[in-house]
Amino acid sequence: MNTRRFARTAGWLALPCLIAAGLLAWYVTREPASPFEQEQATTFDPALVSRGEYVARLGDCVACHSLAGKAPFAGGLEMATPLGTIHATNITPDPGVGIGAYSLADFDRAVRQGVAPGGRRLYPAMPYPSYVKLSDDDVRALYAFFMKGVQPASEPNIPSAIPWPLNMRWPIALWNGVFAPTATYAAKPGQDALWNRGAYIVQGPGHCGSCHTPRGLAFNEKALDETGTPFLAGALLDGWYAPSLRQDQNTGLGRWSEPQIVQFLKTGRNPHAVVYGSMTEAFNNSTQFMADDDLAAIARYLKSLPGDPQRDGAPWQYQAAATDTRPGAHLYATRCASCHGLDGKGQPDWMPPLAGATSALAKEAASAINITLNGSQRIVAAGVPDAYRMPAFREQLSDQEIAQVLTYMRSTWGNTGGAVDARDVNKLRGHTDPASSSPIILHMR
Amino acid sequence: MELRINQKAYQVEVDADTPLLWVIRDDLGMTGTKYGCGLAQCGACSVLVDGNVVRACVTPVAAVAGREITTIEAIEADDVGKRVVAAWVEHQVAQCGYCQSGQVMAATALLKHTPAPTTAQIDAAMVNLCRCGTYNAIHTAMDDLAKQERA
Repeated sequence: MNTRRFARTAGWLALPCLIAAGLLAWYVTREPASPFEQEQATTFDPALVSRGEYVARLGDCVACHSLAGKAPFAGGLEMATPLGTIHATNITPDPGVGIGAYSLADFDRAVRQGVAPGGRRLYPAMPYPSYVKLSDDDVRALYAFFMKGVQPASEPNIPSAIPWPLNMRWPIALWNGVFAPTATYAAKPGQDALWNRGAYIVQGPGHCGSCHTPRGLAFNEKALDETGTPFLAGALLDGWYAPSLRQDQNTGLGRWSEPQIVQFLKTGRNPHAVVYGSMTEAFNNSTQFMADDDLAAIARYLKSLPGDPQRDGAPWQYQAAATDTRPGAHLYATRCASCHGLDGKGQPDWMPPLAGATSALAKEAASAINITLNGSQRIVAAGVPDAYRMPAFREQLSDQEIAQVLTYMRSTWGNTGGAVDARDVNKLRGHTDPASSSPIILHMR
Repeated sequence: MELRINQKAYQVEVDADTPLLWVIRDDLGMTGTKYGCGLAQCGACSVLVDGNVVRACVTPVAAVAGREITTIEAIEADDVGKRVVAAWVEHQVAQCGYCQSGQVMAATALLKHTPAPTTAQIDAAMVNLCRCGTYNAIHTAMDDLAKQERA
């Protein structure tokens, strides 16, 4: 009696469960629609290919999909995810290991929706939540570039090191459903063309938020456009602090003019700062190649993002240094002052000021510690390597000494970043030592 | 661009970001100032700019246009510099000598600001590197110069 009732109930329950499972299976493996479904690209206009090359510059595809000394776009860069290590793939038009067999619609689904042919989901280390904003025209051009402007390379892809069952890709489809937008960029009617172009580049191909927007628990960017205040509000990543790009006076772009933002992205330097850390590769490979109009658009858009005085604190003002007997003061005078000046004002635009620098005002000391330990990478602007570079002090200064000199730097000339702990220096020293067993590997960007 | 070096005016045709050291050595042929590390770490390239010691390898030339630059070639035209060189000779400070032009510039700058430095002040200011290890001789010479001033 009871058994029969149970069987009947179970039967009634099994049906919706089966239907739900079927729907789920369909949802997580489906190939989403692409507007290019019917489009067969066979000929590629050279103008379209070179337009696509420019879009690839805007998107900085090369930063992750190439390794130094290897063929361009042949993949290989190691990246950390919360689950394990993955490697950027070969995106040359090689028909075997690359994307040579992709149709335009396949390419579109991979770039804008993170879905490879067959419905396999890409990890969101590929910034498709940003690239989804790309216009149809730009996707078409980008496809033309990757098919005709890139040399095929047969570099095999490196399998990811994520163990079963975490290596199943289908749950990413659910992540996408919650966190990844599905619409291309739509111009805001209340804003002019320049602003809209800037918003398009920053949110879309430029994927600035991948580094500069803080991430939530599911590794999702907390905002993907200006409607959310965490958008580009600064984030810690790869042992660097990517500062706010909003109008924060201290930790953002509040004191930068639009022409200064353009100058920074075009030449790598301006009176406030010189690119360093992870921004070096974005500058070397991407921003300096952007058209002046596009840089002006980016500057216009960024200047429209309000700051948050509560997070940012009272606006920085220069104060001359008082006589200081802390050990950090002497270290600064002997190790740092020949470039950055005893007055902390640097030698703009070649050596950046430390007075009022983001790394001296942000609570997060990671960037200050990292560049002191490891120095800056070579900036190559318009084909010319930089004349001046921050040297690495890893072998010359102890953790204690670096903490002392940075504490001095972050509490002098009106700077309010505050003290640096030698233990934090030690931690970063370990993570950024190439010989260490727990080196920092690149995260999503 | 016009540079004033050792009381003389020089016209140079160089990029604004050229290191001062290159201009002094390569364009103007004054090779007394040495190239050491190129990273402002060793001090071999020290020169004086308006009486302050500066590391010429990391000084963009445009930043010092119109200012008074002094190199080792003219250090004895300066009263303090002349005394430093005399003390260096007296105490036979140099061994290979490569770093010594920078050491003399650092010593001169210190004595211009602090005529009779204490031992601690000498230690704090004389931080240029010397592979021969002439630090003790440098210190003795500096002590002597400070004593002369106190007497």
